[in-house]
Amino acid sequence: MDRQQEYVLRAIEERDIRFIRLWFTDVLGVLKSVAIAPAELEGAFAEGIGFDGSSIEGLARVSESDMIAKPDPSTFQVLPWRGGRQGTARMFCDILTPDGEPAMADPRNVLKRALAKASEAGFTFYTHPEIEFYLFQHQEHEGAPLVPIDTAGYFDHVARGSGHDFRRAAISLLESMGISVEFSHHEAGPGQNEIDLRYADGLTTADNIMTFRSVVKEVSLEQGFTATFMPKPIAGQPGSGMHTHLSLFEGDTNAFYSAGSQYQLSDTARAFMAGLLRHSPEITAVTNQFVNSYKRLWGGGEAPSYICWGHNNRSALVRVPMYKPGKSQSARVEYRGLDSSANPYLAYALILRAGLKGIEEGYELPDEAEDNVWELSEAERRALGIEPLPGSLEQAVRAMEASELVADTLGENVFNHFLANKRQEWQDYRAQVTPYELSRVGII
Amino acid sequence: MARPATGEGQRAASLDAVLARAGFTDVPRAVGLLGSGLPADVLEALTKDASRTLLEAFDGVGDPDLALLGLARLGDAASPEVRGRVLAAVVDGGPPRRNLLALLGGSAALADWLVAHPDDVDVVLRPRNGVAADPETMRTLLLEAVGADPRADVPVADGSAFDGRLDAMRHAYRRLLVAIATEDLTCRDPESFQPEVAGALANLAAAALEAALALARADLPDGGRQARLAVLGMGKTGGRELNYISDVDVIYVVEPAEGVEEAEALKIGTRLASGLAKMCSTPSREPSLWEVDPNLRPEGRNGPLVRTLSSHLAYYERWAKTWEFQALLKARHVAGYAALSEAYLAATRPLVWDAIGRENFVEDAQAMRRRVEDHVPAAEADRQIKLGRGGLRDVEFTVQLLQLVHGRVEPSIRSANTLQALAALSATGYVGRDHAAALARCYRFLRLLEHRIQLFRMRRTHLMPTAPQDLERLARSMGSAAEGAEDLLARWRATRREVRRLHEELFYRPLLPATARLSADDVSLAPEAAVARLGAIGYRDPQGALRHITALTEGLSRRAAIQRQLLPVMLGWFAEGADPDGGLLAFRRLSDELGSTHWYLKLLRDSSAAGERLAHLLSSSRYVADGLTRSPESVAWLDDQAELEPRSIESVMNAMRAMIKRKDEPGPAIQMVRFVRRRELIRGAIADVLDEVPATTGERVITPVADVALAGALRIAEVEACRSLGQEEPPSRFAIIAMGRLGGAELGYASDADVLFVHDPLPEADRETAEKWATAVSSQVIALLGSGGSEPPLPVDTTLRPEGRNGPMVRSLASYAEYYDRWALGWERQALLRARPVTGDEGLAERFVALIDPLRYPEGGLPAGEVRELRRIKARVESERLPRGVPPTHHLKLGRGGLADVEWTVQLLQLQHAGDVPALRTPSTLGALAAAREAGLLDNEDAEVLQEAWSLATRLRNANVLWSGRTTGNRVDVLPAERAELAGVARLLGFPPGHANELEETWLRAARRARTVVERVFFD
Repeated sequence: MDRQQEYVLRAIEERDIRFIRLWFTDVLGVLKSVAIAPAELEGAFAEGIGFDGSSIEGLARVSESDMIAKPDPSTFQVLPWRGGRQGTARMFCDILTPDGEPAMADPRNVLKRALAKASEAGFTFYTHPEIEFYLFQHQEHEGAPLVPIDTAGYFDHVARGSGHDFRRAAISLLESMGISVEFSHHEAGPGQNEIDLRYADGLTTADNIMTFRSVVKEVSLEQGFTATFMPKPIAGQPGSGMHTHLSLFEGDTNAFYSAGSQYQLSDTARAFMAGLLRHSPEITAVTNQFVNSYKRLWGGGEAPSYICWGHNNRSALVRVPMYKPGKSQSARVEYRGLDSSANPYLAYALILRAGLKGIEEGYELPDEAEDNVWELSEAERRALGIEPLPGSLEQAVRAMEASELVADTLGENVFNHFLANKRQEWQDYRAQVTPYELSRVGII
Repeated sequence: MARPATGEGQRAASLDAVLARAGFTDVPRAVGLLGSGLPADVLEALTKDASRTLLEAFDGVGDPDLALLGLARLGDAASPEVRGRVLAAVVDGGPPRRNLLALLGGSAALADWLVAHPDDVDVVLRPRNGVAADPETMRTLLLEAVGADPRADVPVADGSAFDGRLDAMRHAYRRLLVAIATEDLTCRDPESFQPEVAGALANLAAAALEAALALARADLPDGGRQARLAVLGMGKTGGRELNYISDVDVIYVVEPAEGVEEAEALKIGTRLASGLAKMCSTPSREPSLWEVDPNLRPEGRNGPLVRTLSSHLAYYERWAKTWEFQALLKARHVAGYAALSEAYLAATRPLVWDAIGRENFVEDAQAMRRRVEDHVPAAEADRQIKLGRGGLRDVEFTVQLLQLVHGRVEPSIRSANTLQALAALSATGYVGRDHAAALARCYRFLRLLEHRIQLFRMRRTHLMPTAPQDLERLARSMGSAAEGAEDLLARWRATRREVRRLHEELFYRPLLPATARLSADDVSLAPEAAVARLGAIGYRDPQGALRHITALTEGLSRRAAIQRQLLPVMLGWFAEGADPDGGLLAFRRLSDELGSTHWYLKLLRDSSAAGERLAHLLSSSRYVADGLTRSPESVAWLDDQAELEPRSIESVMNAMRAMIKRKDEPGPAIQMVRFVRRRELIRGAIADVLDEVPATTGERVITPVADVALAGALRIAEVEACRSLGQEEPPSRFAIIAMGRLGGAELGYASDADVLFVHDPLPEADRETAEKWATAVSSQVIALLGSGGSEPPLPVDTTLRPEGRNGPMVRSLASYAEYYDRWALGWERQALLRARPVTGDEGLAERFVALIDPLRYPEGGLPAGEVRELRRIKARVESERLPRGVPPTHHLKLGRGGLADVEWTVQLLQLQHAGDVPALRTPSTLGALAAAREAGLLDNEDAEVLQEAWSLATRLRNANVLWSGRTTGNRVDVLPAERAELAGVARLLGFPPGHANELEETWLRAARRARTVVERVFFD
């Protein structure tokens, strides 16, 4: 028993915790939870908790379903919305095979492997996500129209706004769970909010995003709203992205910073961006994993539909934020493709590996896009060599199928499973008859 | 002084002789040196008994020539006053003379330093007790040298390093080092004294780090007092067993002083740490000390140089690997803020002693052991003192592993010092007393050797010298430890072997029960300790293992006596296999079977190669374990590489023929045929396990012995058929044509033999009789090979014949011709691609081949309709034939990218192009693949992808059989789902322990890529 584990056991005793939720994530990024009693925890630390993986998306192999969830004591947190006394706490788990090897299909393990790869090259990966989501009035019944809780816009201050209260409640819960919030404001769409998490290493950020989603859902329920991370809940309004700022550190130095070069970007940063751009079509099926994701990507607004980079260019897929003098540590690049519904473990693993690939192979960064690429004509974009991201889930799946990088990063098991799941989703979607079709074609 | 000319010849002659006897190698030069300067004065002063005095003076001096040269140079460099003292010391004799000459002749580097600093000669001449000084005195001396107050909480030098204080520190260091070296070189028994020297060197290094830190502080405002810095010694520094010159391993811990921000403290701590390292290694007037190596810190060279205590702990609790805990075992406070070091040690100790409970401890420990053994550049292998098997690192590893295994429950064995830990392990009964003492002797000898080699030039080396004069000098400087260079080399080599042997004895011998002790000094572990030790090396059921160990070693029989000798080392070898428990169990069975045969235990006792191989085989492959238990005589092959090579088909064929000739009855005769096959299969399986299951075994072993079995069966069947039909002579010619995998020479251990039977009635014979006879031969062949019996069967399958199961078992050549002419279907053309005559009438076989060649190698390729049909059949087969419950990605034969995918693709290319490209006319998949690539029908990359998937699938199918011992059932064709099985198969294929996932990934990747090629080449 190590000290961290002892600490957890002691904390449970002291705070009179009655239930411990063991959290892990399936391949699509859905949070899974098993509750155990404190008495079982010591055993869980030593040997893990066995469970049947066959009912968990992506985890099971057909012939063998026994899996072990082993809690990571460094992720111990009391769940504040469950009440202080006799409360509930949670820990994230690593998923192991029965003989104790990390399960290849555990998304957390996928990210850990990618981070280890970065570490072999001497890098630590830091991320800082800006998570957008919508708040709607509670739905009376399924299928009822979604009614946003307000009609405000970007950065609007809403007097006695319920969104304001909402953000305050959510942020205080997050902070009480040790998740620092950088920034929060009203976004452009009605009822749309954005909360930015403070930068942290990739694994912590991914864990935090999972926690964040549950906190937001809990608070919204409490206040009588429905929160959604759906990429595009309302046609004609902005979608919910999860722009993420990325940087690599070598020890204590920011490897993306280089004094005096263009935008203070080092060669490492340029190669990383080049890798990210070149491999972006392959990873899109994961960073934008639902049929609905492509309605955000191709629904206009400021969505990054084209593969290019720019400095403060809000239409670019990769953006280099304004450099603040004297802040060499905060040199970074922003990937704007990601949406709020992605599985953060898989998405960050792929983003990292795509960038690393650029560094390993020394990719050349293409020229900066200075125009708003949405306003260019098709021919102009072609002339500039600017390619589009996949236009639908089907196209994204095709691009992913041919990618050795994605197969290697996800591992063959997750790769197969993810593709199969997404092909099925596309087929199911294709079989739908939508109100739009009925309204257009129904009269014929 | 010039010598008087008179009598010089005579004196010189006798001087020559004396010098030669005293060990000078370059006598004329020595005579020359004695002719002037200080040496001449010495000779002058020695009026009587000069020869005896000279002999005495240079006795035990490592390099007399060098010592004399040093004396001359010292005389020239010294002030008159110092020169007088040196002269007096040498003339008066006693300890001062002994000290001086021993140092001058033992270390060229320190002699040079002394010549450069003649005023420091007092440190050499002064008689001394114990080594140099105690740690506190050393610390005081070095701190005072830089003008720091040794009693201060935070000692800071009173000026910058570069106005002389750095040189003062190094000077003080060098004086103490010279004192230690002098003591070392003059002691009576340097081997026993070695631990004290190493301890003193570690204390000196600690004092130097303290002084270097005081210097680094002086370069910062306010002495950098905002940061509390603790320096922990690791490795040999931590264990107080340092070399004369090696990297000093350290870890830094920093905490802010009261009221200081953590970030600020870390910044200052980093500057202090890098400053400290610079003080030790940067060039200056005085020689540098050594490199300070901080790379054992969290995250190694990529991690921040300094961390706070909590940052260290967070790392160790979350990220650290097992080897890092092993390294932490050595940690000790050496410099800086002692209270912080204590806090660090108090917090990390529990982690060290709980490391054995970590996941993967077994795999990690095995990997660490391999690193110890393997990391020797080939060019240095027979000169390395430190690395490799039997080197110093090996001794240290053995002791540390025992400490990690038993330290959790036994605090008294937790010493960071190798020899102290070993003594404690012996005192507490975890290792045998004799063996521990012997290992300690080996260790001290190797360390002394290393010290002497390093001391000479003060160079960091762990290699034995090669030049004869260097070896001779080394031998002399070892004192009583060696008589001359030859003896030294012999003893060194013997020591390396001894270390290896002792590792087994220390680690495994105590696992034997008390009743199996060989001597009163042996120990027998208490059950809990034995279980912990067996568990730590990878036995999954230590209790069961203990029962086998007891059963094997108990009793008064000679067999038990030999087992007591053998078993400890066998236990270690089993532990290296994938299934130690299975290995031990199989060994017990084999020993029960063979225990009383005279050669078995003798072989294992006398041939360690055979023993190691046996252990490896038994713990890696149930198929081989079963095979060896069934034909125990095969164990004898293990000692002879030639016996493990596959036999040529001719020699197997001859052996089989000779055996069946001696039998009259078909029953016993066919058992002989099947026996020959089994024997050769075991031989092949042994070679497979020893060689990572190559893909070629089907071609080299399994198919040829199946061919032989068919030939033997046909021979017997023909005779039997004649007998039953009352025929004198066979009425028809008969041949067996191999099909499928047998045709392609690609059989696996679990494959059936696909064949076609063909006959051709003799012109004069009665047609009906001939038919009857041929049918009888066919069913006999199938029955003889496929029926039950003590020897394993070879199922013969004829379903590829015309009309399949509905057609007659055997046809005449004419009937084949008629059938193929009229009915040949696409799939039959495809199946015939694999046809290869095996045995029977050669002329008939040739005519059969001539008959089918136009079918299978159609001129102008395949009509489009047939191509389409072939694709359609393949697509249907894919969805229908895959067994339920097996994921298509994991089926090696029928799954995505599996054998069938590759073979159909290759066969389609053959059907389309073999008419034009003769090289494609081969039954072998890889042969046709190579030909297709050669002919440009496949590009290189595609061909490689297909070959890789096919070869891997082939190897995996064989490895499935080898691991499980099962030759039937669906699981042979599936990548194992059960973890232990997957891990065992991975080991067979050469993956390191703990890499089962990697095997699965490797297969899935290879198969996915192959499928991409198949979809493009076969379906488009």
